[in-house]
Amino acid sequence: MVFSFWESDNVGWETSVRNGVRGLVVFLGLAMVGMGCGCNRADSEGSRGTESESGQPVIGVSLLNLSSEFIVMIDRSMREAAEELGVRLVINDAQRSAARQIQQAESFVAQGVDAIILNPCEVEASSPAVDRGLAAGIPVVNVNSETRSRPTAFVGSRDEESGRLAMEYIAERLGGEGGVVMIQGYMGQAAQIKREAGAREVLDQQPGLRLLADQTAEWDRAQAMSLMENWLQSHGDEIEAVFAQNDEMAMGALLAIERSGWKGQIVVVGVDAIADGLQAVQAGRLDATVFQDAAGQGRTAVETAVRILRGEPVEEEVFIPFRLVTQENVAQFLP
Amino acid sequence: MPCRSEADASGGRPLRDLLMPSIQRGSILIALLAICLILSLMTPNFLTVANLINVARQISLNGILAVGVTFVLLTGGVDLSLGSLVALTGVVAATFAHPGDYPVVVPIAMGILAGTACGFVNGTVVTWGKVAPFIATLGMMTIARGLALLVSGGRPVSNMSPELTRLGGELAGLPIPVLILLVVTLAAGFFLANTRMGRHVYAVGGNERAARSAGISVPRVKLFVYTLCGALAGLAGVVLAARITTGQPNAGLGYELDAIAAVVIGGTSLSGGVGGVGGTLLGALLIGVINNGLDLLNVSSYYQQIVKGMIIVGAVWLDQKTKA
Repeated sequence: MVFSFWESDNVGWETSVRNGVRGLVVFLGLAMVGMGCGCNRADSEGSRGTESESGQPVIGVSLLNLSSEFIVMIDRSMREAAEELGVRLVINDAQRSAARQIQQAESFVAQGVDAIILNPCEVEASSPAVDRGLAAGIPVVNVNSETRSRPTAFVGSRDEESGRLAMEYIAERLGGEGGVVMIQGYMGQAAQIKREAGAREVLDQQPGLRLLADQTAEWDRAQAMSLMENWLQSHGDEIEAVFAQNDEMAMGALLAIERSGWKGQIVVVGVDAIADGLQAVQAGRLDATVFQDAAGQGRTAVETAVRILRGEPVEEEVFIPFRLVTQENVAQFLP
Repeated sequence: MPCRSEADASGGRPLRDLLMPSIQRGSILIALLAICLILSLMTPNFLTVANLINVARQISLNGILAVGVTFVLLTGGVDLSLGSLVALTGVVAATFAHPGDYPVVVPIAMGILAGTACGFVNGTVVTWGKVAPFIATLGMMTIARGLALLVSGGRPVSNMSPELTRLGGELAGLPIPVLILLVVTLAAGFFLANTRMGRHVYAVGGNERAARSAGISVPRVKLFVYTLCGALAGLAGVVLAARITTGQPNAGLGYELDAIAAVVIGGTSLSGGVGGVGGTLLGALLIGVINNGLDLLNVSSYYQQIVKGMIIVGAVWLDQKTKA
């Protein structure tokens, strides 16, 4: 009985066959329901691409993770740009797996696509995906994040810049003096490392700013809320500003601050300019966020790939700038 | 495994015993008090009314989930779908919670209903389909996460009515999630001690064959525990959505493991038949105090994970040693 959750019963051979059949029926039933949903979705999405006229250039796209709002925005802008430029996109979701991303690049090569746009999962592990494409003579454009292998072109933003912009804003608001806490993203990810580096650069230049504490909340709103609640207990009076490395966590910190009555005394700044964050800035709840131009990155990636295909010269690295969003300029970022 | 006294279908036991079986009433409580003592010596900010309320609020979600999964573990099963169910039900609740759309009971009911339905499917696959609970709920973990992403379109569902977000606020100085946890724990403790179904839950986990011979409908009991667990996950999902004022399709990652950890620390056996919700509450409290304390002490992220893991294993090891 120790591992009873592995086996539901101690049963004879016949019963286990019968159970097996039952299990199979349940499994197949579920699988069919699942496939039904999946197919419908694929149909409606695929219709735009697969049935267009032949002769259009085809670009294979492997995206980091379509369950992230930011990547969904990149995806959307790519589709729009492709439609305008008359190219066909084959979009795959790597679901955060570098191994899957490499397989996708390999099947792009097998399909004989004209170009590959890669939204890398990892710096090292996704590099073979770039190599496969280049080895087959297919130009590769990396979008949003980097790989160790050098692609034909890179389109993205310098994440350090976002941390720097946020912390500079905090320094300005506090007049260069006061206690700051930093909520980190998932430790070890490129965005976390670079946003922290950018923020620390400013902290080093501003001796009056004291970093009271820094801790990860893994990009998660609920975790950031708990963390902020705890910090309000231990550093309440000293905290004058919070820098959260994304807006989800900034919103969590903000909710904790609002619910415990500290609002108005603590400056809260996030990064990413997600819809919720922008609304909070407009309402004067969140002090600032940093806009990373997902649409600009997606569009520019497709444009760059098309220019390469047309034999036009391209920059090897195209940086889409971050922009600080406060209540004064928030209107231009709202949809 | 010998037939345990808990399996006896005759006569209820005192509520106190079921809330906290005498065996672990001691050691977990001692571990908890020891950690609290250490923390209060190390930081003046730990032992304050505000911080203790803070800790209570932070464990409320994990507590609600853990009470639900206590039932499942008592029958010798497991539920790995909790985290995904929290995300799905939160998204469902948020979808019905736009201001002016429906009265506030609708999003709450829809969230709990979605959780109940998923729990019912878990129970059906485990009983009728005879699929091992580990696999059945692992499947639901992925399916529910997919559904959450589908319903929300991959982005957080915001713009939630203040009536619903108030559920994450306070009532008479006490956080509402804490009150919900208390009600849920007391109701679950009472149910396990004083109802026929409650005793059957222990009987099934203690010795399934004996329970069947005694005329207990094992599938009915199992279907019940998974459905209840799903319903409580739905409640937790609604509370989380109210607390963070959005339905997040990516929320709840790993919550099932925190919940199971709380139950096991609280003395409920992974193989079923032994334990109770009182111990679970202590387990959740222990995890919550550790999380809070490490944040107050400003321990670095890397060390936090190591320390948490060691304390969880240590607490269970201590518990087993005192039993032996």
